[in-house]
Amino acid sequence: MADQSKKEEEEEKENPSISISVPQAFLVHLISGLGLAISLWVAHNLYSINLVSHSSITLRLIWIVESATVILIYSRFRIDPQQCSYLKAVVRGILALPVGALVNALGAIALGAPVGIQYLPKTINWSLLMSSFTVAPAASVFGLSWTYWQRIFAQTKPNGPLEYMICIPAHGAVIGGWFGAWPMPLDWERPWQEWPVCVTYGAMTGYLVGMIVSSGFVLANGRRQRLKED
Amino acid sequence: MGGRWWMKWYSWVILVVHVFAILIFTRGFLLTRTELPYYSHCSDVSQSPCFTSSNTNHSWNTPAVDRLVIIVLDAIRFDFVAPSVFFQEKKAWMDKLSVLQKMAFSEGSSAKIFKAIADPPTTSLQRLKGLTTGGLPTFIDVGNSFGAPAIAEDNFIHQLVENGKRVMMMGDDTWIQLFPHHFNKSHPYPSFNVKDLHTVDNGCIEHLFPALYQEDWDVLIAHFLGVDHAGHIFGVDSMPMIEKLEQYNLMLEKVIKVLESQSEPGGLHENTLLLVMGDHGQTLNGDHGGGSAEEVETSIFAMSFKKPPTSIPSELDTSSCKLDLDGKKKCTSSIQQLDFAVTVSALLGIPFPFGSIGRVNPELYALGAGTWNLDGINAWDSSNLSELEEWLLNYVNVLCINSWQVKRYIDVYSASSVIGFSSEDLLHISNVYVEAEQNWAHTTKNLLFHRNERSHTLLPAFTRQIDFYFSFLSNVSELARSKWTEFNLKLMGIGLGTMLISLFIIFPAIRRVNNLYTTSLLSPGVEEGKVASFLLATTSIVRLRSSIMKKKMLFEAVSFLLLISILRFTIEVGLSKQAATSLFLSASPSWMLGVAPGHPLWTYMAEIGPILAVILLAFLLCRTISSSIFGGLWKYINLGTILSYVLIAVYWGAESSIPTLALLLQGMATGHIPRMIYAIGLGQLLLVAVGHLFDKDSELDYKRSLVMKTVAILSAWSPTIIIVSGKQGSLVALALIIGGYCIVRLESMEDSDSDAIFTFNPLAITQWNLLAVCLFFATGHWCAFDGLRYGAAFIGFDEFVLVRQAILLAIDTFGFSHILPVLGLPLLAVCNFLFGQNNHGKDFRFNQLSQMYMMYGLITATMVTVTVICVTIHRRHLMVWGLFAPKFVFDVAGLVLTDALICLASLLYSGGPTGERVPKTER
Repeated sequence: MADQSKKEEEEEKENPSISISVPQAFLVHLISGLGLAISLWVAHNLYSINLVSHSSITLRLIWIVESATVILIYSRFRIDPQQCSYLKAVVRGILALPVGALVNALGAIALGAPVGIQYLPKTINWSLLMSSFTVAPAASVFGLSWTYWQRIFAQTKPNGPLEYMICIPAHGAVIGGWFGAWPMPLDWERPWQEWPVCVTYGAMTGYLVGMIVSSGFVLANGRRQRLKED
Repeated sequence: MGGRWWMKWYSWVILVVHVFAILIFTRGFLLTRTELPYYSHCSDVSQSPCFTSSNTNHSWNTPAVDRLVIIVLDAIRFDFVAPSVFFQEKKAWMDKLSVLQKMAFSEGSSAKIFKAIADPPTTSLQRLKGLTTGGLPTFIDVGNSFGAPAIAEDNFIHQLVENGKRVMMMGDDTWIQLFPHHFNKSHPYPSFNVKDLHTVDNGCIEHLFPALYQEDWDVLIAHFLGVDHAGHIFGVDSMPMIEKLEQYNLMLEKVIKVLESQSEPGGLHENTLLLVMGDHGQTLNGDHGGGSAEEVETSIFAMSFKKPPTSIPSELDTSSCKLDLDGKKKCTSSIQQLDFAVTVSALLGIPFPFGSIGRVNPELYALGAGTWNLDGINAWDSSNLSELEEWLLNYVNVLCINSWQVKRYIDVYSASSVIGFSSEDLLHISNVYVEAEQNWAHTTKNLLFHRNERSHTLLPAFTRQIDFYFSFLSNVSELARSKWTEFNLKLMGIGLGTMLISLFIIFPAIRRVNNLYTTSLLSPGVEEGKVASFLLATTSIVRLRSSIMKKKMLFEAVSFLLLISILRFTIEVGLSKQAATSLFLSASPSWMLGVAPGHPLWTYMAEIGPILAVILLAFLLCRTISSSIFGGLWKYINLGTILSYVLIAVYWGAESSIPTLALLLQGMATGHIPRMIYAIGLGQLLLVAVGHLFDKDSELDYKRSLVMKTVAILSAWSPTIIIVSGKQGSLVALALIIGGYCIVRLESMEDSDSDAIFTFNPLAITQWNLLAVCLFFATGHWCAFDGLRYGAAFIGFDEFVLVRQAILLAIDTFGFSHILPVLGLPLLAVCNFLFGQNNHGKDFRFNQLSQMYMMYGLITATMVTVTVICVTIHRRHLMVWGLFAPKFVFDVAGLVLTDALICLASLLYSGGPTGERVPKTER
């Protein structure tokens, strides 16, 4: 235990900026969640569209709002504020968005997402949304430092509240999307079984659950920190 | 040490238990309707409450037509016959039978086009049974389709013969198998050679036209098979199909001309009815058997050469009309095939088949001119009835007999069959019948009482009465459709229970099981390929992730993921081939490569690619056997395989459409190559068996002998499977090898953190099994009888021999998904040792192999059990015969095959009878 706390302290010394307070973490998650809720509300009430009827346009609305929210807010917590200005962090988040979308789209196609010209806009918009759940915040915060990426996305060993906040919701979104694909092959013939409607619902649910879980972790982490300090 | 015997014993026990469970379940599930041995007789009708014919020579009702010509065009889709205005878009194959349309839509015609709706399963044999008996088919008869038994039930052919009608038959020899002693004259032709488009048709035409001038028949049946065969081989949207339809058009035009020329009063065909009909439809790929709209919708064209006076009242008219481009109204009616037997019987004036549950179709019945006069019924004075009233009276009377006959059948059936109808249903039916009877008695009394007054209530009274009978008859057919298919729940339960118990026998044997399957694959069979590839892709992404984490074998992980993505697309192409709406068509089995036909580069690739793949396979095998561990007999077995591969390459090269290549190889006797390959394969298998028997003295260690045996048996099987699968075969084989290699390599990556309980990682076995499932779908199969690739049975052979062709078809169906994966499983175990450097004794290896086999068997058995549970739950589902039952049959066949192969493998790989040798510690 002592070893671990010592290591953590060391790491914090290395990256002093990585610390994020518990209320801040809650606020970040709240705003991200609100971004999602507001975009859905706007889609339903202002434009009266939804995922089933106009999946591509709705998805576009959601990812634009969500990615803007996420990039703008996470860029404030970039790990290297000395070398990297706020604007630069925003720019690298924006640049990472299409790259992450490509990775997500390839994964989805390997898993059986339909290809074809009529599905192309849906797939593009969906993968941009997934990218803003997963890659964009990480890119804003970590930039190109490979060790962080590997630790969070390949090994799933986040440490520190900020890494929890990026890692858990991203994994939640991916796993939620994976489970969301389960109803697709059933022969219920419902419109929401179409690609990518139920996958999007699954991903959004997973993302929200991930944020709640990560808030829990951050809270627990903060309490432990406080106990240590005491 | 006892492990070896234990494992052998075990796999046999599992096989026996599974076979037992499946047999029991099948007996309860695949339906058997009791066939009643009763026949209708002329004298029976006196028991009915209806007016009977005054002329005692004629039974039941007065004949309305004298002679009947039935031309059956096998697998005629509704849109072959109906005008193209009925469909969204005019396709190349529409409006080809223009003479039928011309006849049906000309002014004052006595011809009509019907949409005929068949009951699935839509195979020719089942349909002929249904058409002649007027009953519903049961699933179990599908299995008998390859050895058609005679019909034991009452049917209208039997009634024709009983009532002195002379029947002449030509064409499809299925009729002879169904009715061996019924025809006065017959000209049967073999129906099984799908590649032959012309023998049956030309034979029919040859005998049909002379017969039209003869007097020695009353009913003529000509069954043409060309369209069915053209569909199976080339698909609907193809030149041979259009040529066939044009040929039929000319033939029908001539038939109609000949019949018309003799239809003057006193002529041979004065009162002849011509029926041109299909027995079932087909999908755009030419498949049939299931219950999709394209398969069940066929057509009946009826034309009477004696014109009926007026048309029937609009209440009975079911026709739907469309305006064509010239603004002309074109109408087609619709009929259930169930109604065919009884309607034709009524038209010919013979007793209705005892087991028929159809109703006399008013529109088809009205085409018979003889139904418009009432000379048969003496109770009525027809002088003051209009023509229409006269017909209606006649029709009501026919319906009265019809209802009485159906009611009699239902009563006798529920009295004599163990599993009858429920008493509420019977009571309901009886009530409807009694109501109809009472109403009729009341009406007739009224009418007879007022017979001399010209009553205006006649027409409404008749139509009301017809409604009563219709309601009764439709109640019966509905009840029959929903309830007839009665399952034996007790047997099904026992079968399912045994299956579950068998799972729990294996369960402790491998102690711990974690697989993805138990929760998956609950979805109906159609999407199973997609689900399997989804799961496989998931496992491969997990592997990719861990390989990124460990920073090794990234190449294998990525190529495995890529392979799965490619497989996924081929599965989708295969499924779209299955989906009836898809227009994707390619005549050759190498549809995998025919994605963008037309471009010369593509065709070149499609021809060269498989050949290159075969050469690559041969090269790989060469490299494998050149390594030192192969010696003696085993080396020669593999050399035989390399020879086979070369032969395959030559065969495909000669068949290819690239002229230079084909010319180059034309000199050789390529026709015999497939048979040579089968012979070599058989010889190799024998050699493997011999080698296994005399393996005792070899000083090889277990690992080497295991590798040698596995490679030998795989290489013995592979050429046959590849050539039977067509040009996709070599590519799929390559995919299997790459997939297996990646699985093994990635598996060895995980080796470091192995636990003590399991000597292997169940994930690898699961992946292997999933890969096998994916390959089943990727090779263009799916779990339905129309998913069988009948063309594969005729590679190397032209004539049909049941056993031989069935074996080839089985090899094609299960080759890549069952035979190769099960026999190749030891490589997964052995290569683990090659890469991971742990050394264990022979018995350890053998135990590990047994565990792997059991795991594999368990996964397959679990999937089948899930299917069985699904089938049990969905036994009342609309699609049970279309979807669940074929899936069940395929899964069960696959399970038994897997079990049998595991038994075989346990014999073969057990390392000879010298089990007592001391475990060696090598290297």
